[in-house]
Amino acid sequence: MNKVERLIDLIAMLLQAKRPVTLEQIRKSIPGYDQSSMASFKRMFERDKSELREMGVPIEVEPVDALGEEVGYRIPKEEYYLPEIDFTPEEKVALLLVNRLSSGELTPFSREAGAALEKLSPDLGEGGGSCNTAPPRLRFAPMREREEVLNRLWQAAVECRTVRFVYRSLGKGKGKARERELDPYGLYLERGSWYVVGFCHLRGEIRSFRVSRIESEVDFMRPDGEGPDFARPADFRLEEHARILPWEFEEGEPYTAKVRFSPRMAWQVERDLGDVYRFEGMPDGGGVLEVTVRNEEAFLNWVLSYAEDAEVFSPAELREKVRRRLEKIVKSLGGG
Amino acid sequence: MADPRARIQRLLSLVPYVLKHQGATLGELCEVFGVTRDQLMRDLNLIFVCGQPDYTPADLIEVDIDGDRVFIRMADYFARPLRFTNTELYGLHLACSALAKLSGKEASTALLSAMEKISEALREGRPPQDGIDGRIEIKPPSHERDVLSELSRACGERRVVDMEYYTYGRDEMSRRRVHPLSLEFGMGHWYLRAWDERRGESRVFRVDRIKELEVTAETFVPPEGEDLESSPPGPYGAAESGGIEVKLSFSAALADWAREQPIFTRCEEVKGRLVCVLRTENLSWLERELLSYGTEVKVISPPELKRRLKERALATLAVYGTDRPDTS
Repeated sequence: MNKVERLIDLIAMLLQAKRPVTLEQIRKSIPGYDQSSMASFKRMFERDKSELREMGVPIEVEPVDALGEEVGYRIPKEEYYLPEIDFTPEEKVALLLVNRLSSGELTPFSREAGAALEKLSPDLGEGGGSCNTAPPRLRFAPMREREEVLNRLWQAAVECRTVRFVYRSLGKGKGKARERELDPYGLYLERGSWYVVGFCHLRGEIRSFRVSRIESEVDFMRPDGEGPDFARPADFRLEEHARILPWEFEEGEPYTAKVRFSPRMAWQVERDLGDVYRFEGMPDGGGVLEVTVRNEEAFLNWVLSYAEDAEVFSPAELREKVRRRLEKIVKSLGGG
Repeated sequence: MADPRARIQRLLSLVPYVLKHQGATLGELCEVFGVTRDQLMRDLNLIFVCGQPDYTPADLIEVDIDGDRVFIRMADYFARPLRFTNTELYGLHLACSALAKLSGKEASTALLSAMEKISEALREGRPPQDGIDGRIEIKPPSHERDVLSELSRACGERRVVDMEYYTYGRDEMSRRRVHPLSLEFGMGHWYLRAWDERRGESRVFRVDRIKELEVTAETFVPPEGEDLESSPPGPYGAAESGGIEVKLSFSAALADWAREQPIFTRCEEVKGRLVCVLRTENLSWLERELLSYGTEVKVISPPELKRRLKERALATLAVYGTDRPDTS
């Protein structure tokens, strides 16, 4: 007999039962259990029971009579049934969109989010074209991060557990893969990539790691522990780390650079960075952005990607560096 | 054979779905539960043989398929789906808060109230909110949020959109009249898939590169054969296939970074450098990209790119030609 059928029958029987059902009754009643010996039936039932419990089916063990000598099993309806929820049409549409998001695996435990939405489906009603609130056509492309890595990091951040993994950093010289130990403080998503922020034991400071560059599995340092392995500093603010731009990474003391953008590009720069930096519009449609620079190399890369649409005003030394960099490029391209 | 657990979970929601929506069509059920018609029929046949002891016809769940409409009776004990597990509730919260951050204002208001209702209904099943707060941060894309709502409405109402758009590939602004078909999120950006009237084909536009837009009163008929559901989202990014083959050589310092870029069709190591090949229709965007990498990258071919890069570098240098006074 099919295992799925056996388990559905078992749930149905225990849900319907008014009193706890004994092992003997289960064995006698459900066809899938009857042909084996008592010992192998018990093993089979134990496996089924723990599998159902893992799925969240609340199987209770209760004494069958007042003497409490024999136990039986029961699924209390009030603990099994998902309460009915009355959603507005707008809320239904929004939740159907979440379903699309979860199929793109954008967030940790998106598969589980999909399972939750499946359970909500009776209350979300017809998802097909039949209803006039059909979800707008929004779609989500799949992510590059491995689901199990993202899930594990998220769990570690919530339970404050130290993890280790092999990470390939892209730095100066050759990107080397090294094992890292990390106290993860949080996760952030920016420009389509997930980052994990935390205290890096190797560097002895708070660092961000791009999740897609983790090459190994993510393991707990103390697999048998329950956490917490560390305490997140009280003054840690994830949003302060989540907005770090390449030219704000590490390196030297921060200073402010003023960059003018042409009318052609200023509107894009303002949209992109206007909430991070001071941006002042100019009458011609251009504008001046005040950028915080800690990593000059990354800053030069970025500002030169705007070619003649960006001009570094100050500081003078930085302006000079841009000019020298451009001269070097021209020179490297040879005569003609 | 598919994962029996996923199948059990599906059946435990499929039965309550039909009990609440008697006469749901096979097509609707396939869509809601994300299964093929064959799989759905196998599911329904299995439900048909399940029930209560002693499994006589009077004890079994009744499944009727009338035409393509499905009816289920004698399964009152499965009137509701199973409650959420903790990870499911977590996952749902994370997905909802991510979408609230990424989508337009209307959708996020509805999402937050939906989540509130769910939390209320589950009462003790509420996830530890302080566990989520401050541990996850989703940076909203850089376009103005209302743009997404406007475009989403234009898609739904099938209204022609007039817009001023910056094309990265050609590095230029242009006016477009488009028929918006869908909005897609990928690689950290929202994209609009739309039929471009002048070009007579459907294209993908990055929403944050739309400078201005107007949803006109004019409506359109979606093109025949544009089946969005069956085609995967994407691809996104500046470079698609194109007639020009470009060969670049990266220094060791940039080699690992270059290997990660999806635009290259081929990469091989040559004497400590990484030679990468891509195909494109336009060189303009590459001029900007290459200026950014500086002397860490060399153009191998085509010669035209070399020439244009030099022109662009000289034009940029000219901006710095006359020293401006510090304006501070």
